[in-house]
Amino acid sequence: MTTEAKSEKYITTFKQLMEEGRKNGYRLDWLLPRETFGAQINSNAEAGGLLLQDIDRGPFAQIPDWSDNMTGRPRGALVRPNAARVGNYSVRTKADIWLKNASQLYEEAVQRQWSSAVDVPWETMEELPDDIERAECQLATFLTEVEFVAGDVPGKWISETTPDYYEPRMFLISQIMDEARHMDVFRKRAFANGGGLMSQTTNVALSGGAIDSARDFTEMSARLHISGEGLVLSIFRMGERMSYNDAEKAIYRLAASDESRHVAFGVMHLQYLAQTDPQRKEEIHSYLDEIELGLVAGTGGQNPAQRGTPSNAALAILLGGGSDAASIAEGEQIALAVRQRQVKEYVQRVKVAGLGERFENGRANATLAAYVSA
Amino acid sequence: MVQQQSQPNVRRDMDGNPVPELPDLSWMDKTLGWGIKARVEPFGGGMTVDALNVGVYAEVPDHIAFRNRLPRGAYPAPGAGSIGGYYLQDKHEQWADCAGLLYEEGISRRWSTATDVPWETAHDLPGDVELAICQVATELSQHASVETEVVSGWLQNLSPGYHEVKLFLSTATYDAARMFEGYRKRGMLNGGGMMLESPGGMNRTIMETYAGWSQTVLGMWFVRNSLDTTILRYLAVYGPSEADRVLAARLIPDRMRAAAYAADHIRFAISKKPELAIGFQVWLNGVEFSQARDLRDPVLTEALAVIFGGSVAGMDEGMKVVRKMLQDFVKMYLSRCKQANLDRSKSLTSGFQFLLSGMAAPPRPQA
Repeated sequence: MTTEAKSEKYITTFKQLMEEGRKNGYRLDWLLPRETFGAQINSNAEAGGLLLQDIDRGPFAQIPDWSDNMTGRPRGALVRPNAARVGNYSVRTKADIWLKNASQLYEEAVQRQWSSAVDVPWETMEELPDDIERAECQLATFLTEVEFVAGDVPGKWISETTPDYYEPRMFLISQIMDEARHMDVFRKRAFANGGGLMSQTTNVALSGGAIDSARDFTEMSARLHISGEGLVLSIFRMGERMSYNDAEKAIYRLAASDESRHVAFGVMHLQYLAQTDPQRKEEIHSYLDEIELGLVAGTGGQNPAQRGTPSNAALAILLGGGSDAASIAEGEQIALAVRQRQVKEYVQRVKVAGLGERFENGRANATLAAYVSA
Repeated sequence: MVQQQSQPNVRRDMDGNPVPELPDLSWMDKTLGWGIKARVEPFGGGMTVDALNVGVYAEVPDHIAFRNRLPRGAYPAPGAGSIGGYYLQDKHEQWADCAGLLYEEGISRRWSTATDVPWETAHDLPGDVELAICQVATELSQHASVETEVVSGWLQNLSPGYHEVKLFLSTATYDAARMFEGYRKRGMLNGGGMMLESPGGMNRTIMETYAGWSQTVLGMWFVRNSLDTTILRYLAVYGPSEADRVLAARLIPDRMRAAAYAADHIRFAISKKPELAIGFQVWLNGVEFSQARDLRDPVLTEALAVIFGGSVAGMDEGMKVVRKMLQDFVKMYLSRCKQANLDRSKSLTSGFQFLLSGMAAPPRPQA
């Protein structure tokens, strides 16, 4: 709930105050109220307190389609003519990064912070069969490696984005925090039960670079949020199936909660772009072409369920319950279901983003349909 | 590659690729150290990141040879190569022994500006005090915004081999973001909003240090952070409402974690490369000049004087507090330098000497 701004008459009292101060030798040229002055916000603790999405109004709520803010000033702040042009921001067009609910996602992230040190019941871990422990540790090694991607790359884009679009920046900062925790929790899992780190994954080291190399935010977001994080989210959601104790279940459940926000960011950004800058849809489809190739042929390097990789074999062992041929065969069947789920969830995300026509007009990779119908 | 030719005895996946009876399990022996068990802290600290540094995994090399995301201690994949970035590969360029500890502390001190500040106590303040708070909020918010840009921009340059540092810096970015939004919320609470942007000299100095992370740390967390922390300390006492005092007090530990990393990092860098101290000293001369020039602009100090004095009429009394605050700022900065083995007591530039003398005052054009 807010109140109205003060009247013009009220402003004259500030001019009088300014004059009074100037008589004492102060400059006080900053002491003039903005047009919203006096419009109070009454925060409601039961409704989540004072939330970022509720505070801006008047000039502070005006999000420019193109930003000329080169000094890094907060959105709506008054300009100093002599301030240095330090903001070498490459993202200065709203459609390039905007989404409708970034503030909500940020506030949710703040509320859902957790600690890998104390919120995972590490004491519930008991000694596991050697092949299971090695599979756990291989998967943990893979995940700790890929989580670096998801933290470092958004970091670059925060510094490239004008503060006029602070809401998506704030969300990306919360993502950096989340990914640090994921990197940390999977490293902890590798050491928590008498194992250790296992093998680096060659294709992660190389293919992960595709996300780093993106020179456009939406291209990066499609690769990272829609593809990479979407694939990992599907795995986390299957965590109950491959967990051997409550600690692992907690890890996957908590990480999935974070990851779903990151995927939501990517979907909502694509949706905004598709709605406001339809000229870019064809370009976005071309990114999705690459992503789908990664989904079916494993060129992305972000998918732990990708065939022929140590992480996929580890998944099969964990899902099947052992490294003998029968267990692995059973695990592979379940892993196939995981891949089906990945594809189905990907298709749904793209539809929600407003780019679902590719599944109707024959553009989508044909093998996706085989997964969905299998 | 999809192969469709028929070989009835070979299992195939949905793409038509042959599937071997058993996947390659050679990775099961690829580990540099097996049988490691990290221990949970005995007094409630849980499983900390520092507790993982056991056996071969406790070795933190002076140089990371890989420019990819190999987790420290993992078995390197042959041919993994470079993915670009991560060009700060030396320990002395980023390390601080306390980084892991600070990360865990940052995680454990969870709080939210939405729910942990009694915002309802900050309504109906006198108009001049409200505007003064909004001006201070604008500048603190901008300082924090710059910090988020700078730290997050460095992440992809710092080697993942020193993951403790990366973890801590992630929390530091998040902490700075909280300061940004906390003071934006404060500015908007009664409609005052964001007022005049900060002078920008220090923003420029901090942002234009991409040549070296250590130099960035000196500008951002030795000098700017000392000023911001001192302002927060005074606002925690002189803040005109409980909300203002709580917000400032809540932010101080966040600021202090960054300061602790900074001092520890610079001390470590100098311990490894003593010659770095010369360049750091020269660099700080420029940073001090930049900060002193920003403080000669009267907007921030006048706004603080209104807050500390309780009104425009009380500004003279408030300015006495401001002078004391600026003295404390330089003392805090000198203390950090001393902790880092970078004594500035005999090389302080004239602008900072003036602040330290307690005589500093904004220019009074009509006086």
